[in-house]
Amino acid sequence: MALRFALAALLGALCYLDRTAAFQLMLHRPLVVATLVGGIFGNLTAGAQIGGVLELLYLARLPVGASVPPDDTGAAVFAGAAAAGASSSIGLDGGSFTALLLLSVPFAELGKLADRYVRKVNGRIAHLTAEAVDRGDFRAVEHGLLAGLTLFALTGAVLTLAFSGAGMAVSKLLLSRFGPASRQEFSALQLVLPLLGAASVYSCSRTERTAAVFFLTMAAVFGAIVFFRWAG
Amino acid sequence: MTPVLSPKGRRNVWLRQFLLQGCWNYEGMQNVGFAYAILPALREFYAGRPEEALKAVKRHLEFFNTQPAMGAVILGASVRLEERVAAGEADPRSIGTFKVGLMGSLGAIGDAFFWGALRPMASAAGAILAMLHPWLGIIALLTLYNATHLPIRFRAFAAGMEGQEGAVAWLKQAALNVRTEDRKLAAAVLGGAYAGAYAGRHAPLGGDAVHTVVLFFVGAALVRLFTGLFRKAVSPSEILSFLFLLGALILWD
Repeated sequence: MALRFALAALLGALCYLDRTAAFQLMLHRPLVVATLVGGIFGNLTAGAQIGGVLELLYLARLPVGASVPPDDTGAAVFAGAAAAGASSSIGLDGGSFTALLLLSVPFAELGKLADRYVRKVNGRIAHLTAEAVDRGDFRAVEHGLLAGLTLFALTGAVLTLAFSGAGMAVSKLLLSRFGPASRQEFSALQLVLPLLGAASVYSCSRTERTAAVFFLTMAAVFGAIVFFRWAG
Repeated sequence: MTPVLSPKGRRNVWLRQFLLQGCWNYEGMQNVGFAYAILPALREFYAGRPEEALKAVKRHLEFFNTQPAMGAVILGASVRLEERVAAGEADPRSIGTFKVGLMGSLGAIGDAFFWGALRPMASAAGAILAMLHPWLGIIALLTLYNATHLPIRFRAFAAGMEGQEGAVAWLKQAALNVRTEDRKLAAAVLGGAYAGAYAGRHAPLGGDAVHTVVLFFVGAALVRLFTGLFRKAVSPSEILSFLFLLGALILWD
């Protein structure tokens, strides 16, 4: 288990770097993170199922200017680990799936707070860098950037350790306290969450042209799936 | 004689653009990242002139913020401008003016294209394909996003390196506003397909067509409701927290 957590921390450091500090290749997206964390903790498919829904939930919050959106990478770490843990114990039924998605919200907000703190500390690093350059040492720019990168990566690794540990704990200790009947009741909300994700996409892509396209496609795909399910 | 950036220097600057946000902070935002990215060029242009090199580095430690991928065009054009400043052909203040003049508008164009259109499109495609196979979803998401993102970084930097005129010509030719509309349309199609697929999977079977139609309209109404809430600046976390409370109440019953 220690090796799994070490692997998760390494993955977390890389993904959190990609989130803000470096590359922006979308390695930090919930679908990628939840799937890989799920794989590390024993069930890649469970991670992908929950990551697929999480992927769209926070899309409407854009990282524009100084605004820091909720940490969907952190939410995916928690949910991916918890989904893998749940699938190997009580099973990832509709109720557990919905509960884990909803329980991931505090982790998204905690990660956002950590992100803000890192950016504040980076302000101090930037200030020290400018002072060193004033003294004639322009290598300080490279050292300052390295310090910023290290801070982002370390924070990512620590958050990943904490969030994946919380995910495993929730799946083993909390979810198992609820019987199948309770989880069945909770699954009443299961359809709402993907629709919230779809609303995020619609909200981003909304123009005069796209509104009709969105709902027509929704109707066509809905009709086709119901027909094929009905036909066998 | 105008100093020319060596191929090695150019490659280093291009690679360093990926760390533009490496020390993102609330005061200078991407200032340290920009100074870091342009440093290999400054070292070449001001070789043997440490005082001028220092002034140049300080110039780039001033406030800077734009959409990270669009930073490539400003970085390339700034390298070209520094080249002219080092040769005594341009006023050093023109670099600051150029950067400040461009970062806001390019930031707005880049935010609308990358965060508002390309990312939702790639995410929705990834989420749909992940229902079929986990790796398929990941590959679709990363490929769709980066097949556009990386060439833009490459071409924008090359255009910037041709000077301010090259940068402007590339911006015209890239037609990012048109491409934004296209990606938004694709995102709307994929988002609609995603919503339809989930609602269709949960529709009750067994001959009651009215229930099925009602479920579709409830789904569509929920999408409209959530979109309306987003427009009123309600965050997804607030909606999810409300749903969590609702779930707790269901369990309480």
